[in-house]
Amino acid sequence: MSAADMFESVSFLRDEVLDTVEHGDRDPPGTEIFDAVLRALATGGESVPGFDMGLHDAVSRRLAWGDSEEVVLADAELVFDRLLVAVDRAFRDPADQMVVIEAATMVAVTVARVVSLEAVARATRDRAARLREEMAQRQLREVLEKQKATIVRLEAELSRDY
Amino acid sequence: MSVQVQPGMRVAGDTNVGKVRTTNEDAMILDPIRGLYAVLDGMGGANAGDIASQTARDAMVDFVLQRRSQLPPKQLLEQAIQTGSRAVHTAASQHRERHGMGTTVVAVLVVDPKHVVVAHVGDSRCYLLRHQRLQTLTRDHTIVEELVDRGLLTADEAERHPYKNVLSRNLGARAETRVDVMELELMPGDRLLLCSDGLYGYASTEAIQYLLGSGDAPDHVARDLIELALRGGGGDNVSTIVLEAPAPPPTSTQVVRTTGASAWWSKRQKFLIVAKDRGLTKNPIVRGLEPNEALEVVALSLCQAVYHDLEKSTGVNVWTFAQNLAGGWFERGGEWAPVRQLFDILATSARVCVDEVRAQDPQLGFLLEVAVSRALVVSELALGGLLAERLRAVDGELIQVYATVPARPAETGPIERISEDVLDTGERFVDRPTIPFLRLDRPVTNSGISSEVMDGIRKTITIATARTSPRAELVKQILGALESISADDGGNFATAVLQAREIYGVRSIDDQGISPLFDALDQARIITAASVHQIQTTEVTRAKVLRALSMAHQRLVGATTGLVLEGVVPFTERLRELQVVTGELRDEVAKAERTRAQLESKHATSVDQSLPWGNRGTTEW
Repeated sequence: MSAADMFESVSFLRDEVLDTVEHGDRDPPGTEIFDAVLRALATGGESVPGFDMGLHDAVSRRLAWGDSEEVVLADAELVFDRLLVAVDRAFRDPADQMVVIEAATMVAVTVARVVSLEAVARATRDRAARLREEMAQRQLREVLEKQKATIVRLEAELSRDY
Repeated sequence: MSVQVQPGMRVAGDTNVGKVRTTNEDAMILDPIRGLYAVLDGMGGANAGDIASQTARDAMVDFVLQRRSQLPPKQLLEQAIQTGSRAVHTAASQHRERHGMGTTVVAVLVVDPKHVVVAHVGDSRCYLLRHQRLQTLTRDHTIVEELVDRGLLTADEAERHPYKNVLSRNLGARAETRVDVMELELMPGDRLLLCSDGLYGYASTEAIQYLLGSGDAPDHVARDLIELALRGGGGDNVSTIVLEAPAPPPTSTQVVRTTGASAWWSKRQKFLIVAKDRGLTKNPIVRGLEPNEALEVVALSLCQAVYHDLEKSTGVNVWTFAQNLAGGWFERGGEWAPVRQLFDILATSARVCVDEVRAQDPQLGFLLEVAVSRALVVSELALGGLLAERLRAVDGELIQVYATVPARPAETGPIERISEDVLDTGERFVDRPTIPFLRLDRPVTNSGISSEVMDGIRKTITIATARTSPRAELVKQILGALESISADDGGNFATAVLQAREIYGVRSIDDQGISPLFDALDQARIITAASVHQIQTTEVTRAKVLRALSMAHQRLVGATTGLVLEGVVPFTERLRELQVVTGELRDEVAKAERTRAQLESKHATSVDQSLPWGNRGTTEW
């Protein structure tokens, strides 16, 4: 089967894999992963790791909008499992099945890589934020000391004035 | 400062002297009992500004206290402000040095959580944030604004006008003043901001809108707005009060998805302890695992599965967990009793955790109990499905037994004869284990993976290992893990977790620690996919081999990412703890700052009674 035919055949599995009926007009969870599989198939089923910037962007966007890493990962797993079941049923030629399985595995690994690196980046940011918090605390403590000294002085002066 | 008000309504206010002035002439009313909130910005020399604002404030509070039950809300607020004005005017006329002092006011009277009355005099403002759009509810009472209204000045000219800060109305200039009053119906989630000109004079409307719409709690917003004005120069005293109308009550599903899931997850340690106490680590299913490992693989996995199901209102994770655990055990010829015992332990442990939540928050506990019970029912359904599958297999075997029985002469009843024939073996059928997978002599097999495919997997891994560079130890380790996971039923996540732990080892949580791991995983994937095509077998078997290895790969990658996420958690938790401490310190500093400002005010009054007027004058318009 040519790449174009393969792309079209797998596209037909969208409703089954993403369970679109359940989600109505909204994009079902894992849409970006299914689209990435389609893109991988369109380019012949294999690409350099990290080449699919669309997938990177989509995963990063989901994380930025508040989805947890676990949720993104679970969606990827769900799409992968359902796709494998659907492909087993829909493709008679084992060679075609293998092309889709390879593409799906590649996307699964890429998603995991992106999620992990995003998590690591978040940890780095948290570490930097922690340093800032510690510095802020130090400054606040200094300010507090000064304020307390001023309060003591003013109270003393006021009691002297009256 | 944050205060409790009508149910569901949140209010907070803050004030600051600014970076230039030495005294704070602003005053605030935060009176949740009478639902009265106001910002007053005093003006006048010789420290008369703060006296004016405080005098008006006290008069307003007293008036509302005395007349609340007698007047309708709109009239009550208007007359309270008039009373404040008279009080300031009287105070000014009694002391020569206070002549000309006055104050602005913007006030809100909360009738109920959906209705408020807003009134103002002067240039203190009230903003409304509705659906993330900021509107100014009040119009400044300044000379320039009046000229613009009469068409004598354009907006641009007004902006550059030398008298743009001169008020046309205030409290105190005359005994009576005109008050602008409006009634407002609040919608769920609306936010009102009352502020002095020290805020909007030093901060852009966009920034105010951003902070007000940030979704942070009102006390944080009030404090952040002050900070915003200080960063913009802080040339004047600044006061802010933020009122938030009650949000629509969340549905029980939303509560379970958010608070319920978090509450459940926070009890995971308790869950593990209870499960251990009840003998989970001694269950035959986890024999061979270290106790902690057994707890992690079984109890923590269920905890995670329930958490994800609560978060997404599904049952798929618990279903998968139960199927994998029980299915894997049955496939190895395991007995039913340990499965029942294990799931009973898990169910009891879950109920202990839910009871703890219920003791702290009965309503949340109730919702969580319903949701967790549903998850446990799902696990029982999964077990039931497995049993049904096995019973169907028994049916098949019985049919085979029936078919192999030799035919009997026609004169005797066939059914009776067959029964006798079976009984001839000396063993009644009911005495035999009726479910084949309970037979201990049953050989260990792998669900859905034939010996041919297993052979293919072994060959593929052998070829892949041979093709791997001798120095790529990590890739070889991954290939070994893939073989173990795929041989252990492609869907079993527990094996993948154990293998991932082996591969993960000790790693730093940064790019240098994580990237090589994923590079190796990707390399293993590419080598495996290429090697599958080299094994000598049919195309169909090859596809099945690739499928099994890919599933194993996916599970391994998922488990590895799970470990990375676990490693990241302490960073976030530590930061949260620090942020709490910083917040407390900020509150302490703010409190000390207020005390200092008050003392300085007293000090200045006692030192010098003849300071010139402030730079904001008033006029009789």
